[in-house]
Amino acid sequence: MRPVYVIGAGMTRFGRSEVPLVDLAGAAALAALHHANLGKIPVDTVIVANMGAGRVNRQVAVASALVDRLSLWPAAADSVENGPASGASAVKVGYQAIASGMADVVLVTGVEMMRAVDGLEATDFVASMSQPEVEYIYGVTLPSLAGLFARLFMERYGVERRHLALVAIKNHDNAMKNPYAHIHQPITMEGILTAPEAVVNNPPVAEPLHMFDCCPVSDGSAAVVLASEEVAAKLGAPRVLVAGIGQATDTHAVHERPDPTDLKAVRLASAAAFDRAGQKPSEIDVAELHDAFTILEIAESEAAGFFKVGQAHRAVERGETKLTGKLPINPSGGLKAKGHPVGATGVAQLVELTWQLRGEASGRQVAKAKTAFACNFGGFGNNVVATVLRKEER
Amino acid sequence: MSEKVYAFRCTTCGTVSYPKHVICPKCRGETFEPMEIAGEGAVLTYTDVYALAVDYETRYLRLAIVELDGGLRVTGQLLDEDPKVGGRVRTTVGVVREPAGGPIHGLQFVPV
Ligand SMILES: [Zn+2]
Repeated sequence: MRPVYVIGAGMTRFGRSEVPLVDLAGAAALAALHHANLGKIPVDTVIVANMGAGRVNRQVAVASALVDRLSLWPAAADSVENGPASGASAVKVGYQAIASGMADVVLVTGVEMMRAVDGLEATDFVASMSQPEVEYIYGVTLPSLAGLFARLFMERYGVERRHLALVAIKNHDNAMKNPYAHIHQPITMEGILTAPEAVVNNPPVAEPLHMFDCCPVSDGSAAVVLASEEVAAKLGAPRVLVAGIGQATDTHAVHERPDPTDLKAVRLASAAAFDRAGQKPSEIDVAELHDAFTILEIAESEAAGFFKVGQAHRAVERGETKLTGKLPINPSGGLKAKGHPVGATGVAQLVELTWQLRGEASGRQVAKAKTAFACNFGGFGNNVVATVLRKEER
Repeated sequence: MSEKVYAFRCTTCGTVSYPKHVICPKCRGETFEPMEIAGEGAVLTYTDVYALAVDYETRYLRLAIVELDGGLRVTGQLLDEDPKVGGRVRTTVGVVREPAGGPIHGLQFVPV
């Protein structure tokens, strides 16, 4: 297999898009192409990650549309749909194309415009990835799966709502330093948990989870340019290596898992990514985890191997996952505050980490970051892609 | 109520699955027989969800994963005013969703 480098990264500000889907994707793609500064080197493959344009925007074959918008014919083009893990799956497909020798320069763009429909419809669109016969029919939505998971996890390991609040406060603080984040709103423990008005400010969404435990519904797009070693060398680009990708699946219905608190697919995907990268969790300098719900940041950080099972909430308490901590998690603000345009999320995680490794994350830069980890969590943990990036010195 | 909800028993090794699988997760067997889901069990976890999907008029839904005596786990709607983890319930079948195409029947849990 040939080594694969990230040579460009760009995104739109997440939030609400005023432009059509393909223009939103085009803006992120253009930012990544400018960042890569390809000159006359052609893009030979375009991959688009998207979960629901067919349903929410009445548009399918988005990759073909994006090639046209960018006048990149006759580049090969494929759309990848893998639920909320679409983004990292699309990057994996691009990685495979270059590693195999089929492609030299691949543009991967994740895009989602979920706010084109009302909240009920957006929630239902996302819920339609749950098991149709034994979950969806009962009114299961993703927040409800997170609520069921959170109650079990919190009771077993002694995690309290204040620990979840600490994750939310940290990610909102980080997002304040990220101009691309959807939510620019500092929050406090008093405001969301301990003051009398917190009951009003922070209503329940799926007990024990409340509004400030849940990511917003966002529009947005993020893109990376991947290249072979030959192209990366020719451009003299900073060498951000895709050191390892791992992916694993688990049962569709959460109740079929022997231990529903065990995020087995996160565990296996992360182990595979670390193994391929030849690295250990303790060597990671910065991580982007899939905190669609605050409880998931805690649980994923354990399943990925950064903390012992049942211990991550203690690390959060000690501030170890803050920007200034031992292992900064979600410097971008995470899904919680940067936003979660589902198909774009997995790409956006790698955009943030690429900027971090290049020293370009001004305002929220993690000092001396050399190795980075991302977890893109599809379904309710039934399809997970983990990625390790590493900066190589030239 | 004549509506029933079925799990699927592998005719090779006896493993019961809900939902069905075409290949048995335990023994790779490929033949199954339907088995009515009915009986008692304990609440493994529950939630009151306010972020509802389409097809619901109510303010919130109380959902649970229940472990039935015998070990099969099922997701369904919990009809219990005073829910708790470990609470004893029995299964009933009722209308769990009413989309435009007509009502859907599924598992509901009532306290024993
Ligand atoms: Zn079997």
